[in-house]
Amino acid sequence: MPFLHLSFYSTFTLSALGLAFHRTHLVSALLCLESMMLAMYVALSAWPVTTQTSSSTLMPMLMLAFSACEAGTGLAMLVASTRTHGSDHLHNLNLLQC
Amino acid sequence: MSPHTKLLASMSLLLGTIITTSSNHWMMAWTGLEINTLAIIPLISKSHHPRAIEATIKYFLVQAAASALLLFSSMINAWSSGQWDIPQMNHPMPCLLMTTAIAMKLGLVPFHFWFPEVLQGTSLITALLLSTLMKLPPLTLLLLTSHSLNPTLLTIMAISSTALGGWMGLNQTQTRKILAFSSISHLGWMTIILLYYPKLTLLTFYLYTMMTAAVFLTLNTTKTLSLKTMMTAWTKAPMLNTTLMLTLLSLAGLPPLTGFLPKWLILQELTNQELTPLATATAMLSLLGLFFYLRLAYHSTITLPPNSTTHMNLWHTNNPTNTIIASLTSTSTLLLPLSPMILASI
Repeated sequence: MPFLHLSFYSTFTLSALGLAFHRTHLVSALLCLESMMLAMYVALSAWPVTTQTSSSTLMPMLMLAFSACEAGTGLAMLVASTRTHGSDHLHNLNLLQC
Repeated sequence: MSPHTKLLASMSLLLGTIITTSSNHWMMAWTGLEINTLAIIPLISKSHHPRAIEATIKYFLVQAAASALLLFSSMINAWSSGQWDIPQMNHPMPCLLMTTAIAMKLGLVPFHFWFPEVLQGTSLITALLLSTLMKLPPLTLLLLTSHSLNPTLLTIMAISSTALGGWMGLNQTQTRKILAFSSISHLGWMTIILLYYPKLTLLTFYLYTMMTAAVFLTLNTTKTLSLKTMMTAWTKAPMLNTTLMLTLLSLAGLPPLTGFLPKWLILQELTNQELTPLATATAMLSLLGLFFYLRLAYHSTITLPPNSTTHMNLWHTNNPTNTIIASLTSTSTLLLPLSPMILASI
C-alpha cells in the first residue's frame, strides 16, 4: 500500500479511537476530532497531485473551512459546558440520563 | 434568541438539507451535512439551560464524528475507484464504513445512545426538527447508496432498532424520550425494507414525519413534557385530547388509521421476498411500541386524574390552536383509504 495511504489510515483510525475512548476532558475529544480533520485535509490535498486534476484543489479548502467552523463550535461548547457544569469533565454530563 | 440568529439558523438548515439532497459528489453531501449540524446547534442550546448545553455537546460530538467517518469512507472509495460519485460505491470496506457513518447520523441501533438524551434536552419544536428534518439528508444518502451498503449489517441494525426502540421506551415517563424511542423504532422499519423496495422507505418516512409532527405540535400546545402533566392537560385544549389519542394510535400502526399503511406494505413486501421470519419478528417487536403508545393515549385521554373532584383543574384559556395541527392530524389518521393513490404516486 502506498505510504501516504498507510499514514492517512493510521492517523485517522488512531484519532477516531481517541475520540471514541476519551476519558475525562471534552478538550481531548475536540483535539481528536481536529486530528481526524487534519488527516482528511492531507489526504484530500494529495488527491489533485496524484490524479493531476487541478480542479479538485477546491476540495481541501472547502473541507478546511467547514472543519474550522466545527472547531470553533466545539470550543464554544467547551466554554458553555464550563459555564453550566463548572468544568469540561465528561462524567459531569449526566443530567439527561435514561 | 434574536430574530436574526433564528432566521440565519433556519435558513441554513434549509440550505444544508437542499445541498445534501441534491448532491452528486460526496464532498457536497458532506458540506450539506456539516451546514445542518452547525445550524442546529444554536437552536438546541437556545435556552442556555445546563440540560440544553449537555444535549448540544452530545449531539455535536456524535454528528461531527459521523461526518468525518463519511468523508473518510468516501476518500477510501475514491482511492480505490477514482471517482467521487455518490451512487457508485463499490468496494466492501468503504461500504461498511459508510453504513456505519449513516447509521450514526440517523440514530440506528448500536449508535442510538445520543438520540433520547438530545431530544430530552431540547424544546419540543427543536425536538421535532431533530426527528424529522435532520433525518432527511442522511436518509437521502441511505437511499442513494442502498445497493452498495452491507446488507447483513443493515438488517441487524434494523431489527435491533425495532427491538430496542420498543423495549427502552417502556420505562420512560418523559414524553420527549418516548417519542425519541418511537423514532428509533420507525427508523428500524424504514431500514428493513430499504434493500428490497426503497420507495416504501420513503413512504414510511413521509408518513412518520406527518404523524410525529402532529404529536409534537399537539404536545407543544398543551406543554406536556411528562406523563404526570398529561393527565391534566385536557383542560387546556379539550379537542386535542381526542385527536392526540387517534394520532398516537396511528403512530403505533393500528388498522383503520394511516400508520397501518407503511407497516402493511412492508410486511407484504418482506413476505413476497421469502423473508417471513424477519417480517414476523419485526411485527412482534413493534407490539412493544404499541404498549407505550397505549399508555400515552390512556394517560392523556381515557383517564381523568384520580382526585378529580378535589383537584383544581387548570384554567381553560382560550388560545387558539394553529391550523397546522388540524391538517396534520387529519392526514395522519384518515389517509388509509387513499393507499392505492399514494402507492401509485410515490
